[in-house]
Amino acid sequence: MANGEFRLRVRYSKADRLRWLSHLEIIHTLERAVRRAKLPYAITQGFSPHMKVAFGPALPVGTAGLEEYLEVWLTRYTTAEEALASLGAAMPTGLVPDHAKFVSERDKSLTATLTIARYEVDVTGKESGAQQVQTALDSVIAAGTLTVVHKGKNKVYDLARCLPEGARVTGQESGSRVMLTVRMGPDGSLRPEVLISAALEAAALEATVATKTRTATLVETEGGWARPM
Amino acid sequence: MTRTDLWDRVEPLLAGVERPARYIDREWGARHGDDAEYHAVLIYPDTYEIGQANQAVAILYHALNELPGVAAERAYLPWVDMSAALREAGVPLFSLESCRPLSEFDLVGITIPYELTFTNILETLDLAGIPLRAAARGDDDPLVIGGGPCVFNPEPIAPFFDAILIGEGEQAVAEIVAAHRAAKAEGLSRAETLASLARVPGVYVPSLYNVLTGEGGLFLGVEAVGDAPARVSKRVVADLDALPAPVCGVVPFMDVVHDRFGLEVLRGCTRGCRFCQAGMVYRPVRERSADTIVRDVMAGLACSGYDEVSLTSLSTTDHSQLEEVLRRLGKRLEGSGVSVSLPSLRVDAFGVEMARLVSAGGKKSGLTFAPEAGTQRMRDVVNKNVTEEDLLGSVQRAFDAGWRRVKLYFMIGLPTETDEDIAGIGRLVNRVLQTARDATPPNARGSIRVGVSVSTFVPKVQTPFQWEAQITHEEVRRRQGVLRDSMPRKGVDLHWHDADISFLEGVMARGGREVADVVEAAWRGGAVFDAWTEKFRLQRWVDAFESTGVDAASIANRERTPDEPLPWDHISAAVAPAYLRAERARALEALTTPDCSFTGCTGCDVCGDLGVDIVLGGEARG
Repeated sequence: MANGEFRLRVRYSKADRLRWLSHLEIIHTLERAVRRAKLPYAITQGFSPHMKVAFGPALPVGTAGLEEYLEVWLTRYTTAEEALASLGAAMPTGLVPDHAKFVSERDKSLTATLTIARYEVDVTGKESGAQQVQTALDSVIAAGTLTVVHKGKNKVYDLARCLPEGARVTGQESGSRVMLTVRMGPDGSLRPEVLISAALEAAALEATVATKTRTATLVETEGGWARPM
Repeated sequence: MTRTDLWDRVEPLLAGVERPARYIDREWGARHGDDAEYHAVLIYPDTYEIGQANQAVAILYHALNELPGVAAERAYLPWVDMSAALREAGVPLFSLESCRPLSEFDLVGITIPYELTFTNILETLDLAGIPLRAAARGDDDPLVIGGGPCVFNPEPIAPFFDAILIGEGEQAVAEIVAAHRAAKAEGLSRAETLASLARVPGVYVPSLYNVLTGEGGLFLGVEAVGDAPARVSKRVVADLDALPAPVCGVVPFMDVVHDRFGLEVLRGCTRGCRFCQAGMVYRPVRERSADTIVRDVMAGLACSGYDEVSLTSLSTTDHSQLEEVLRRLGKRLEGSGVSVSLPSLRVDAFGVEMARLVSAGGKKSGLTFAPEAGTQRMRDVVNKNVTEEDLLGSVQRAFDAGWRRVKLYFMIGLPTETDEDIAGIGRLVNRVLQTARDATPPNARGSIRVGVSVSTFVPKVQTPFQWEAQITHEEVRRRQGVLRDSMPRKGVDLHWHDADISFLEGVMARGGREVADVVEAAWRGGAVFDAWTEKFRLQRWVDAFESTGVDAASIANRERTPDEPLPWDHISAAVAPAYLRAERARALEALTTPDCSFTGCTGCDVCGDLGVDIVLGGEARG
């Protein structure tokens, strides 16, 4: 830690219409909220000084997130509760910080530690019953790998590594909800809707992915997963 | 009145389009006046990221929302992917804040920023399901009112608007809304409503003006009907400090152009460059005082959370208290990581000194100067009162101070220009490069870049050059060849404007009401987003001129006689035609005219005509 700096970790949700923002748009929005909140943020040294701040793994455009994280370094101690309250008042509707805590400078960075993401993905359409979707997913996962064409290139996902546990599907009023846990890696993470769409297509089901929510981002620990704060 | 919320039909379309942040509203600073009685929507007819930064819209959004009982919302033209999705789903164009169809608003205000957005205006109206032509609108349709930079010859778009405000809007909008509300309360018909709007000073109601033509369609003039004023004179705000600047505006989520807090520090410019429409139509100069500027910058940064502030105007380095403002802001912002930017620089020692003040210790990205022409004779013709010594001195100071990049703006096709003048641009750039090298340590000379941007002169209305012929496409290409041959090869990035686009700008700038048919035909032929190079197709316009029988060349490339009637004669920017003629005569003799803000009146008549005066920041208000 630079002398006299305080590393504040904040949990927030990105929901409602703001699910349509990109990661970069979220970053700019959060930085501006920190300035509006008048938190005593630290500035990086160097040629182009900017706010000292860090973010968790990117959330794709269109996906909501219920437990997302940011960190901001402060030059002056304020209580975590005060910082949280002023940050909350400076956020646009749809971004809600709900927990803040100072963490040690020795803690690893958010991107290094947050490697597990839980998702809930709603599937709708004529053939979107829980049983059908479950069978379709199980069969794709059993294949062991998934090949995705992205920007003209083939990317092969090792599903045993990407999916630390199986998919669970429950029935909904219309369609079904898939609960999926994904292990994120430094060279990209499997997007749940990609896996689900592939499964629906392979099984020739008339169904599509509707809403996507990342319900939690977690730290992998000895024998389990935990929240980072 | 109907209040339809389209969000449930809009949201499912977002997964299939680029940059959904354009369409979702909910930005910090967006105003949701749901309980208002009168609803206005302000539209910038281009994409969100182009329009969101527009300060005029921000000022009017603020002014209207401050009126009791009035709510103003925003809308932009969706990008082509979203327009296609809306049409396919049968969803009309909507406002951002309440996601209502534009057709449900009382007033639809459209900015007219640039000639090549005219087709976008039609695309906006069509997506909204509002009849394109004012004549086709009924009592249930909203009032469609235009305003902005392109209104000083409104004729090419006049038939699409119920009314057009000439000049500055922050006070006039309140009067327009009041007149409309009174008309509604009295149950007036649409025609009666328009007649009452025509009584608001500065409001031009095109349907109350007939175009008179003679044999062979010869233009004879424009005649007011009934008690509409024979000439509509522009609106002007006497004292900017008397009106609050919008310091708590909308802070966009997505990257937009000019993504920073912008504060207008002065309006108008009286340097008197003869090609410059803005310099003629936004007179007189009115500065905000140093105290209000510093106060509003601090308030705007606190409210928005931006990390950059731009002090905007036509010519910010002309502000008489700029140095004081920058020194005070420098102290207030020290250690905050917030930077100050200036849009363009005066070509002299003061300009570079101001750039040093705002870049202290930080990035030196590049400086921009506009010498406009390559020879002193040509600069005297256009009244750009800058010498080669001024420019080279500025370059030397800038490179001495550590800058390694400059950008220079020039024009070709100016009245009386010869190939010698064009070659002079190359020679001047060469001397700039040499000066830059001499002022740079040998080991850093590899990073020297001189950007040269050359536009083609387009004669604009209400300027001393409004009678001039624009050079033809072929001549533009030939002169661009002369320019290229004269330009040093190493260290220079040369860009010039597309000849086709300049030609079309020229037609739109000086055409009469018959050009509206061309705009509509071009739009029906698929023209939209003409200002986006990848979307512009000249052929659509060529076809439109042919199908409507409008002779584009006679509009753009013909020299007018000083006494012939002009399609914009009934619109007044308050600069006297006699002054424009006198300035044209001086131009042809290469005689310059000084800046009246500092040397005394040069007789343009604006102040007397409008009952206003030049306002300098440090002077006590009367």
